[in-house]
Amino acid sequence: MSAVTAEVREAVVKRRGHPSSHGEARFGFAMIGLSVLFVAIFTAIPIVASLGLSFFSWDVISTPEYVGLENYRRLFTDGPVLKSFGVTLGMALAIVVLQLTIGLGLAVLVNQRKLVWVRTLFRTAFYLPLLASTAAVSIFMGYLFDYKFGVVNYYLSLLGISNVPWLTSGFGAAATIVLIAVWQQIGFTFVLFVASLMSVPTDVLEAAQIDGAGAFRTLFRIKIPLISPTILFAAVVALINAMQLFDQPYIMTKGGPGSATTTVTIQMYQKGFQNLQFGYGSAIAIVLLVAILVITGLQFLAARKLVFYQ
Amino acid sequence: MTGIHPPGNSLARRTLLKAGAGGLGLAALADLAACSKDGGGSSKSLKMLYFGEQAQATQLQNRLQPQIAKLDATIKFEISAINGTDWNDFLAKVLTQIAAGTPPDIISVATEGLQLMASKELAVPLDDYVTKDLGALKEYFADIHPALVESMMYQGHLWELPDSFNAGNMFYSTELFQRAGVVPPSADWTLDDFETAATKIAKFKGINAFGWVVRLWGSWTSFMYANNANLLEESKYDGGDWLWNKAYAGDAAAAGRKGGWKWGAPTANSDATVEALNYMIELTKKGLSPSPDVGGGGTLQGLFASNRIGMSIGGGFWAGGLTNAGMKNGSFDVTMFPKWKSQRHLFGAGGYAIFKSSKKKDLAWEVLKLLVKPETFDLVFPGNVTTPGRKSLVTAARYAKTGPKHWSVFYDTLTKHPDTAPIPAPPYYNALATALNQRTTQAISSGNAKAALDGLQSDLEKAAGAS
Repeated sequence: MSAVTAEVREAVVKRRGHPSSHGEARFGFAMIGLSVLFVAIFTAIPIVASLGLSFFSWDVISTPEYVGLENYRRLFTDGPVLKSFGVTLGMALAIVVLQLTIGLGLAVLVNQRKLVWVRTLFRTAFYLPLLASTAAVSIFMGYLFDYKFGVVNYYLSLLGISNVPWLTSGFGAAATIVLIAVWQQIGFTFVLFVASLMSVPTDVLEAAQIDGAGAFRTLFRIKIPLISPTILFAAVVALINAMQLFDQPYIMTKGGPGSATTTVTIQMYQKGFQNLQFGYGSAIAIVLLVAILVITGLQFLAARKLVFYQ
Repeated sequence: MTGIHPPGNSLARRTLLKAGAGGLGLAALADLAACSKDGGGSSKSLKMLYFGEQAQATQLQNRLQPQIAKLDATIKFEISAINGTDWNDFLAKVLTQIAAGTPPDIISVATEGLQLMASKELAVPLDDYVTKDLGALKEYFADIHPALVESMMYQGHLWELPDSFNAGNMFYSTELFQRAGVVPPSADWTLDDFETAATKIAKFKGINAFGWVVRLWGSWTSFMYANNANLLEESKYDGGDWLWNKAYAGDAAAAGRKGGWKWGAPTANSDATVEALNYMIELTKKGLSPSPDVGGGGTLQGLFASNRIGMSIGGGFWAGGLTNAGMKNGSFDVTMFPKWKSQRHLFGAGGYAIFKSSKKKDLAWEVLKLLVKPETFDLVFPGNVTTPGRKSLVTAARYAKTGPKHWSVFYDTLTKHPDTAPIPAPPYYNALATALNQRTTQAISSGNAKAALDGLQSDLEKAAGAS
């Protein structure tokens, strides 16, 4: 028996006999169990409950009535609800594209700063809005972008620019909400990209430099392909979040003007909690879930060609 | 009356849960659904839901507890506050509480939710209680305008004892009127007078002549009422004689009163309704009014209190609201809503109902009588945050500190304008409010009232059909 084999055997015996190994395993399972329990109670069960409820007509007060697929049939002929899917998709795509491009751009710029304190300062500054309550931010932004009394229009008027209907025209309201959502969420993608860019191997970058690649070519041919898994992750998370956009439009415009910013989640809330059509609201939630799953699936399909794993 | 009995192919709630066939998700529904039969608080407590802040509710609860202890020393009175931006928000949260299995014994509900609550039989009619205690309630009914009582009736039954109301009057800034050289409006002023005043006030930079918010009460709907139009066909339910003949015998104001307002087919795109909304669009185009916010009204009060708005629709609650926002007595006043085709006003009333699921209905009734006593009003509503439903409480002394100078306008709206009517709040009020908000903002941003109200008409027809 070689010395190495003996050493391994000794280690195995030692480990098997270690009194804490079983306890460690139990602790591990307990930790996983807690997470599983949490996900089951707050995610899985509500999804199953919603699915069940979507086959009923229920106003909370009266007895639930089984209606089969009626809620789904109604959904696919309900103009305002279908429109809300279009509105949501449009706003979500705008949010994701802006969040990724601006986030990446800022990350590249900050990453070029050699001073650590400068990088830390920018990281903190861009991440800060993410920590603020979305409801509070929305109320605050509502005041800032008010057509007549808002600070933004006040300063524009000092420059001789007439009042902009930020929240009172269809396009204006949608664009303003998108910008605010991007401003608040950009810290997330920014921090991801900064961390990812810092992990790009320096020898690869040096090799590119020696080969005569400029900054632009290094970014698009070296850095972006190398951080493409992070970009995919950021895109998936950002899109899932954006498809559930609720707080900003609900607080700032109540889905208006008209239905210009009425997202699917607002429709769901209105149908369920305001119009007491919990079955129909659940059906909308389930269709939104399926839509998000499909879009996420498409993202992963596209990733097969666009994402490079080292 | 709309029943809650299951229709043909419906399932009992417990059957629904069983039918979930082991689905853990449906098991979760059991918790949600547990509310149906056993609600109404514990046997040792009497629970009331209240629209406002919890601190205020706790204060009120502590003040009322000694009086309730006299009725039953073993009972603990609990008031839970529900905070919301408006009654729509409040009702949604109340229903969520019901779904969560914690329905109250007593609920304070405004006109907005009365027919919803009554049509779903969430509350019990008070007819028998009132008939039994009519002697004791004689002074109450003598003090409450019959229009308020009628607004609390549905299908011939009385569902709530009203204690407060707010009519859509016109508040104005005396300082801005003075600066613009506008004579304070008289009670019988017209829409032309209103626009003339607005045009003069709008000349000041940064000032809006007239401000409003998008909602059912006191919005462009006030203009609609003055234009003799409505969102729904108006009629009244038969019945109510049991009350009118006994509690209001010989009272001229009770003549023609019936069993509550019956809101019929939608008329949201009638010519007169379109004309009213068009008028608001024109006000915006002329720079006399900014684009309105949706719901609430807190921002509007704040702008008015900082003298950035010359006029706005408000009720008695504005007296307290403006004072709390820092306005001095004398810096604002109130008058009737201007006359258009008529000077018809709208109003909303507040009151108390007993929940059907309550196990202590008799005690709840005693508490209801306590809540509508004159001495309780200021405990419930300190600081003129609403208009008392009792005429005897609408006095110069009440408004001496806060103003307005012409406080008598509040009750005169009911007594001098007998055509004044409640807001159109049918059982499908929530859907109506949502559609109204959406279509109004659509009209203001597009400038096309007709198209928006055609849409509203369609929305309301669907909502009415689904209810």
